[in-house]
Amino acid sequence: MNQDEKLNIIKDILLTDEREFVSAIEKKIKILENTVNKKENLSVKVDPIIETKLNEFVKEIPETLGPTITEALKTEIKNSQDAVVEALYPILGKMIKRYVQHEMKLLSERINNQVNKTFSFKRFFRRAKSKASGINESELILQEQTNAKIEQIIIIEKGSGLLLAEYSKNKMADEDMVAGMLTAIKSFVEDAFKKESQNLQYIEYDLYHIHIQNFSSFYIAVVVSGAYNVIFKDQLEDKLFEFADKEKIVKHLKNKSLLSKKIEDFFKNDSI
Amino acid sequence: MTVSKKIVLIGHFGVGKTSLIRRFVENTFSEDYKVTIGVHISKKTITIPEGEQISLIIWDLEGQDDIKKTRPSYLLGTNGFIYVFDLSRPVTFQDLNSELSFLKENYPKIPVKVVGNKMDLVNKIYLKEHQTIFEPHVDYFVSAKTGSKVEKLFSKLAEDLI
Repeated sequence: MNQDEKLNIIKDILLTDEREFVSAIEKKIKILENTVNKKENLSVKVDPIIETKLNEFVKEIPETLGPTITEALKTEIKNSQDAVVEALYPILGKMIKRYVQHEMKLLSERINNQVNKTFSFKRFFRRAKSKASGINESELILQEQTNAKIEQIIIIEKGSGLLLAEYSKNKMADEDMVAGMLTAIKSFVEDAFKKESQNLQYIEYDLYHIHIQNFSSFYIAVVVSGAYNVIFKDQLEDKLFEFADKEKIVKHLKNKSLLSKKIEDFFKNDSI
Repeated sequence: MTVSKKIVLIGHFGVGKTSLIRRFVENTFSEDYKVTIGVHISKKTITIPEGEQISLIIWDLEGQDDIKKTRPSYLLGTNGFIYVFDLSRPVTFQDLNSELSFLKENYPKIPVKVVGNKMDLVNKIYLKEHQTIFEPHVDYFVSAKTGSKVEKLFSKLAEDLI
């Protein structure tokens, strides 16, 4: 037995335990590798842990993230109010429209019932008026309920849009600026349609109707609230022509205070 | 009694017509540029040295790169024009001669004040370089931002109208 063979025998005796230990570790590493690299094997081990953590997280959201999200949403809505309104407007508009339609239907039914149940001279005259004017009897009753009222009368110089005279029961807006803006709108519309001798006659704004009566060098804008319909328009036109003619307003166009007084005297009783 | 006068501001886009009016009427200024569409009307009543009160109804027209494109009906019955250009942008004053001739031909009796705005953006050397263009026409070099000479411009025009 030479020197090398003796050494090998000694190595075998000394390292048997270590070899067994190393091979055991190798086996364990292989199992681990198998678990980590193969998805299905890994998911068997990891999934339950993730699920538990996820459940805990979901439970904690209202407490931890809730206030932050609410605050962020509040700020976002506050900062983009216009966008929110823009988004809600059509929806609200539809809802309101539906509601108003429903209420109008109810009101119309109620009025019809009233018309059918009662008989009076008033009704007789109303019916005659309805036939003569071609306006539905219900509409006439509605008009009786919400009489049109003159809120403001403005006489405006054509072209320049400068205010010549004004009378209002309740100060509604700066009459100089209304006169200018009305003239600008009028000019724009009349220019845009490019039809000579055609004039803008009427503007509707929220609850108000702005009736425009054109004369040669000026025009009269009448702001009306309530039910503005064909009958009222006819009467108002007659009244305005009568006013222009009787009071000879063309002569007084340069005298703002006198002209304003004349409008007041003529229209203060709403006598249309 | 207060007399009303219609003042119309004209000039290219973005020369500062609206800013001049805001400085004069509300004494405010904003760097945000919002283009004027159509017309905007403002009002300010001032007292001229003679003691008379004048209501200036100021028409702020949308900018046009050519004065001939301005809707003529907006200019009807105007008592005084303010032609505004931007001192810092030559494109807004390169046609100054023809633009002012147009006003003189079509509105011969109406006073016109020619105004170079944004004075705060240019210096004396720059003004000297463009002296040949500016000197024959310009009444005021103003700044809507600092407010320099804005009040003077409107009150002088008001005086000329009486």
